[in-house]
Amino acid sequence: MAEADREIIKPEMMKSYIWLQTSDGSLQQVEQEVAVFCPWICHEIHSGMGSSKTYPISLPSRVSPAMLSLILDYCRFHQVPGRSNKERKSFDEKFIRMDTKRLCELTSAADSLQLKPLVDLTSRALARMIEGKTPEEIRDIFHLPDDLTEEEKLEPIKNTIDDPRIRLLNRLYARKRKELKERERLKNVEIEEERVDERSVEDLLSFINGGDAESKVVKTSKTKKKNRRRKEPQKNTPGNDTSTSNSTSLSSNAVHIDKQESNGLDSTCHDAAACDHLLSDPGNPSKLPYIEEGFSPDDEFDDIDPAMQEKIDKEVADFARRLNSDWPEILSLGQERRRIPTAINCNGSLKRYASSASLAP
Amino acid sequence: MSSMKQREPPKFLCKLEMEVDKISNLPGHIIDKILSHMSLRDAVRTSVLSSKWRYKWDTLPHLVFDNQSVLVSSQDQTLIKNKLVNIVDHVLLLHSGPIQKFKLSHRDVQGVSDIDRWILFLSRGALKEFVLEIWKGHRYKLPSSIYFCQNLIHLELFNCLLRPPATFDGFKNLKSIDLQHITMDQDAFEHLISSCPLLERLTLMNFDGFTNLNIHAPNLLFFDIGGVFENVSFQDTFQLAVVSIGLYTNTGFDRNHTFGSAGNLIKFFAHLPRIQRLEVQSYFLKYLTAGKVPGRLPTPCIELSFLSLRINFNDVEESLAALCLLRSSPNLQELEMLARPEEQSAMRISANIVEEDYENCPFNQLRFVKIAGISGLRQELNFIKFLLANSPVLEKMTVKPGSTDGGWELLKELMKELLRFRRASVQAQIIYLDP
Repeated sequence: MAEADREIIKPEMMKSYIWLQTSDGSLQQVEQEVAVFCPWICHEIHSGMGSSKTYPISLPSRVSPAMLSLILDYCRFHQVPGRSNKERKSFDEKFIRMDTKRLCELTSAADSLQLKPLVDLTSRALARMIEGKTPEEIRDIFHLPDDLTEEEKLEPIKNTIDDPRIRLLNRLYARKRKELKERERLKNVEIEEERVDERSVEDLLSFINGGDAESKVVKTSKTKKKNRRRKEPQKNTPGNDTSTSNSTSLSSNAVHIDKQESNGLDSTCHDAAACDHLLSDPGNPSKLPYIEEGFSPDDEFDDIDPAMQEKIDKEVADFARRLNSDWPEILSLGQERRRIPTAINCNGSLKRYASSASLAP
Repeated sequence: MSSMKQREPPKFLCKLEMEVDKISNLPGHIIDKILSHMSLRDAVRTSVLSSKWRYKWDTLPHLVFDNQSVLVSSQDQTLIKNKLVNIVDHVLLLHSGPIQKFKLSHRDVQGVSDIDRWILFLSRGALKEFVLEIWKGHRYKLPSSIYFCQNLIHLELFNCLLRPPATFDGFKNLKSIDLQHITMDQDAFEHLISSCPLLERLTLMNFDGFTNLNIHAPNLLFFDIGGVFENVSFQDTFQLAVVSIGLYTNTGFDRNHTFGSAGNLIKFFAHLPRIQRLEVQSYFLKYLTAGKVPGRLPTPCIELSFLSLRINFNDVEESLAALCLLRSSPNLQELEMLARPEEQSAMRISANIVEEDYENCPFNQLRFVKIAGISGLRQELNFIKFLLANSPVLEKMTVKPGSTDGGWELLKELMKELLRFRRASVQAQIIYLDP
C-alpha cells in the first residue's frame, strides 16, 4: 500500500527549467532534463546561458517555434532512460510521419542543434522518399523545378541503363555532344561561324567605316559565335533547315550580343559545356553597334530527331564551306543583327535585348 | 522567420499552399547523409532532378558498388564486366571531394586489372575504409598502392592475395582488419599485425600461406579466427576482451610437448588477462589439450563472463581442459557447451573422469547454461550434474540433444536424470528442447 501511496502522491519534483528563445523572439520554458538532450543546448547551458528569462538561450535561426516543439517532443520521449528499443523505434516511426516540407525543416533544425539521432532519423525518412522513385515523382514530392536542359539530364552513368530507349537516346545525345565538342574545337580557329547574314545596307556601311576595329570584331565574334551556335531557333527545328546558304535561311538566329549582355545571359545558360567556354572569354567591351539578343539554350537540345541531325551536319558543312571562302567576306560577317528571335526561353531577357535593338551604344 | 510564420500553411494541404522547395537548400553534409542512406545508383540519379541537384551526389563520402547499387541486367559476362568497369570509372571521375569509404562487392566482379587502377586512384586520396570482395575467380593480388593508404582505419578483404612490398611498414592508423579467404606469407602476416600499432579488431577466416599465428598487437580488443593453423600465441595482448577461435582440422598441431613446458592451455591464456568472452569452436579445444592440462590456470580469468565450448564429451582430455577452464572462471555468467556431432557416437573411451575431478567449484555468477548436441552419455550427464550442483544463482539451463541416433532410450534416461539432479539454485529452470 505504501507503494500505491507513492504512486498517487508524487512529491513535488524540483525540476529546473531552461529558457529558450527562437529567432522570432518568442520565449519558451523547458525542463532542463529534456533540453539537455540536445548537445547544442547542453553546451549553451554550460556556458551559463538559459537559466533565467532575461538570459535565454538564443536558438539558431533554423529552429522555428514549430520545429522546436517537435524537437522537444522527441527529446522528452527519448531522454527517459527506461524505454525499450522497441518502444523507441515505434515512437520514431510515428514521429516522422509528417509532410516533406516539415521533415526538411526538422532535419535542418535538428542539425543546427546537433541532435544527431534525430538528424539520422529524418534523413533516413527523406532517403526513403527519394529512393526507388522516378525523377518526376521526386520533383513532385519536393517541389523541385525541372530546370535542366536535356543534355544535362543525360549523364548516362546509371540512369536506367537497361531501358533500350534510353540507351538509344543516350547514343544520340552522345553523338550530339560530340558535335558540340567538334564545334567548340572548330570555333577556336579564329573564324566565325556565320549562320545568318541579316545585315542591312546601313549596317554594312557602318562596318566598312569602322574597319579599324577588325580585330575586335573577330574577338567579339568569338563570343557571338558561341551564342549563335547554341542558338537553334525553335522555328527551325521542324524542317526550317539551314539551307545551303547560311547567310539567308536562318531567320531568327542572328545573334549579336554585346559582351556584357552575353555575360549576363551566361548566367541563364544551363549548358555547362558552352557556358564555361563563354565565361572564360576575356571581356571585350564592344564599341561597335551591336544588337543584343538573347538566345535560348534549350533550343538546341530539344528532341533529337533526324531533322536535327541533318541540320547539325549541314551546319558543319556550311562552316567548312565558309572556311574555304574569302577572308574579308568572313570578317565582314557577323556584324549587327536585326533579327529578333522568336524563341523566348531566357527569363524574358530576350525581350529586353530585342527592345534595345539599335545601333550606337 | 516572422514572414514564414505569417505564411504558415494550414495543417491540411490545400491548393493555395506555397510549393516551396525546402530540401535543395539543406546543408551539404545533410544532403550527403540523406544520399548515403540509399544505394549509389539512386543517389547518382538525383543528378537529373534539378539544376541544384546536379552535383549534389558527387560529394558522397561513401561509395558502395555491390549488387544493389549497380544494376546490370545481362547474362553476358564480358558485357557485365564492361558495364561495371564503366560505372566505377564514371563515378570515380565525376566524384569530387574526399572518398572515405570504398566498397566493391559485386558478385560479377572478378579480379581484373581495373581494380588496380581504382586502388591507385583511391590511394592518392584519404581513404579510410576499404572493402573488396571478389566473389569469382582466383585470389586477386592486391596492387602495391593499397599499402600506401596510410589513412586506412578499416580494411576488409575477401578472396585476395596479399604480398606487401618489402618496404611496407604497416598501416599506422589501422584499427580493424578483416581477412577472409586470403593468401599471405607467414612473415608478411606477422609483420602486418605487429606493425599496425592501433589495431583493435582482427578477423581472420580461411587463410593459407601461414600456419603460425603469432599475434603481437598491444591494443587488440577483438579477435575472431577460423581456419587451419598449427599454433597460436598471443603476445602482450593485455586488452584483448573478445576471442573466438575455430580450428577446422583435427590434426596437424603438435600434441606432444616436451616435458615440463607449459601446455597449450596455459600458454594460450598467459597473455589474456582481460578476456571477457571466449568462444572455442571446432577442434580448438583439442588443440588446447596438448601438453599438460592443469587443474586450474595459474591466474584465473576473472573477467570472463561468457564461455562457449565446442567439446567432445567422450574425450577425457577435452573434458579435463573444460573443467580447468571452468574452475578458472569464477565470474562466469553464461556458459555454452556444444557437443561435436561427429564424435558423439564414438566408442566409449578408456578412462572416465573420476568424481574428484568434479571438486567443488562454485559458479557464483553463472546464470545461463546451454547444452546442445548431446546424446545422454554418462560423461555428459556428469557435466550437467556438476554444473547444477555448483551454480547457486542459475536461472535457466537449456538442454537440447543432438540427433536421435542414440535412440530414444538414451534420451529418456537423460530426461530422468535431469529431473533427479540436485540443484544448487532454487530458481533454476531446466528446459529440455526437442532434438
